[in-house]
Amino acid sequence: MNKKLLFPCLALVLGSGAGYATSVMAQAKPDVLVKQRQAVMTLQGKYFGPMNAMAQGKAPYNVETVRRNAAFLDNLSRMPWDGFNPNTKDEKTAALPAVYNDRAKFDEIASRLENEASRLATVSRSGDEAAVKAQITAVGKVCGACHNDFRAKK
Amino acid sequence: MTQNIRLAACALLFGTWAAAASAQGDTKRGEYLAKAGGCLGCHTEDKKDATPFAGGRALKTPFGTFFGPNITPHPQAGLGKWAEADFVRAMRHGRRPDGASYFPAFPYPSFTKIDDRDLRDLWAYLRTLAPSTRASQPHDLGFPFGWRFLVTVWKWFFFTPGPYVPAPGISDIVNRGAYLVQALGHCGECHTPRNFLGGPKRGRFLAGGKGPEGKDVPNLTPAGLKKWRDSDFQDFLVSGITADGDVPAEAMGEVIRNTTSQLTPQDLAALIAYLRSLPPLPD
Repeated sequence: MNKKLLFPCLALVLGSGAGYATSVMAQAKPDVLVKQRQAVMTLQGKYFGPMNAMAQGKAPYNVETVRRNAAFLDNLSRMPWDGFNPNTKDEKTAALPAVYNDRAKFDEIASRLENEASRLATVSRSGDEAAVKAQITAVGKVCGACHNDFRAKK
Repeated sequence: MTQNIRLAACALLFGTWAAAASAQGDTKRGEYLAKAGGCLGCHTEDKKDATPFAGGRALKTPFGTFFGPNITPHPQAGLGKWAEADFVRAMRHGRRPDGASYFPAFPYPSFTKIDDRDLRDLWAYLRTLAPSTRASQPHDLGFPFGWRFLVTVWKWFFFTPGPYVPAPGISDIVNRGAYLVQALGHCGECHTPRNFLGGPKRGRFLAGGKGPEGKDVPNLTPAGLKKWRDSDFQDFLVSGITADGDVPAEAMGEVIRNTTSQLTPQDLAALIAYLRSLPPLPD
């Protein structure tokens, strides 16, 4: 076989393979996507809750817990968003239609959470307790800001 | 003899001073009441390092956008030229010093229920704030809601002036809670749904539905609160987060930071006891 042809052919086969792979991803079932993003939200609550209590002085401040939870939260904060695929629009969830109708604002607030959570992970390694507590509060405000506009009442 | 005159003069002086002090209201109590009234929320800009009570918060409603004004004692930008009577007229009757009516975005239909002593203390506290030069913005209202005289008509329908009268036959605690919820806390301004004229649907008091900014707000009657245990609900209203780590919408998050988390444990318990005593209204 002509070597000059082989390479483009290979590229074509691999390329379409990759394309196939991503299209499989994009077709994840809506109900599964919902389950996944809700799982992420649940975990965010699990790791944020204790930090919030510490920020308010309702639980003793524990550097190790804050560092661990902040690192978890940093990762979790990037996970929910592809779960808000438009194909989940008709699932029965607390997500408001604004998630899909006002996507620019939703994406903006999502990246705000990522930024604040990553800043918290950074500050949590600094040992500046006051700064950490202030940053925990900043994260909480983004949670609330998004729930304000994009989640139905509970 | 001279000694007696001196003593009498002293007593007279002290007497007038004491009278003036009590007539002026208690600023410490006033500070607490301002928290219970959540004044900070609407009267402070929504940005970092904003001057408290210097105005600027935008409240977007179906009728247009309202901006909370500067209520610091600055003579031009704020309430510096007001007398106590002006403040009482605003809170009790929803009227400006010039006699015109305030738009009910200023929740005077709730604040009218605040009693005389609390009004006096609130006013005394506001006078202690540092005057801010921040200019208040004009509201940005849709046609024809910008016509202030229409508010007069609105008030015939939806406004009953007068302080809260403790209901007979219920405990002092529940009465205290009712006062905090109905008068100072003005919870119904968001948690009671409104009709198309922006008047509260009285039969749906605190039953939730669409809030003033068009978003769903929860039902606070026992039908909506039955899933909460008292202790969990109390923790939530102090910490702003549920035991599961869930964070409420920021509209309430702010109320928790500014108001409910600042209440004494007794007042918070009274507030919950009152909500528990309401007739349960389904969603």
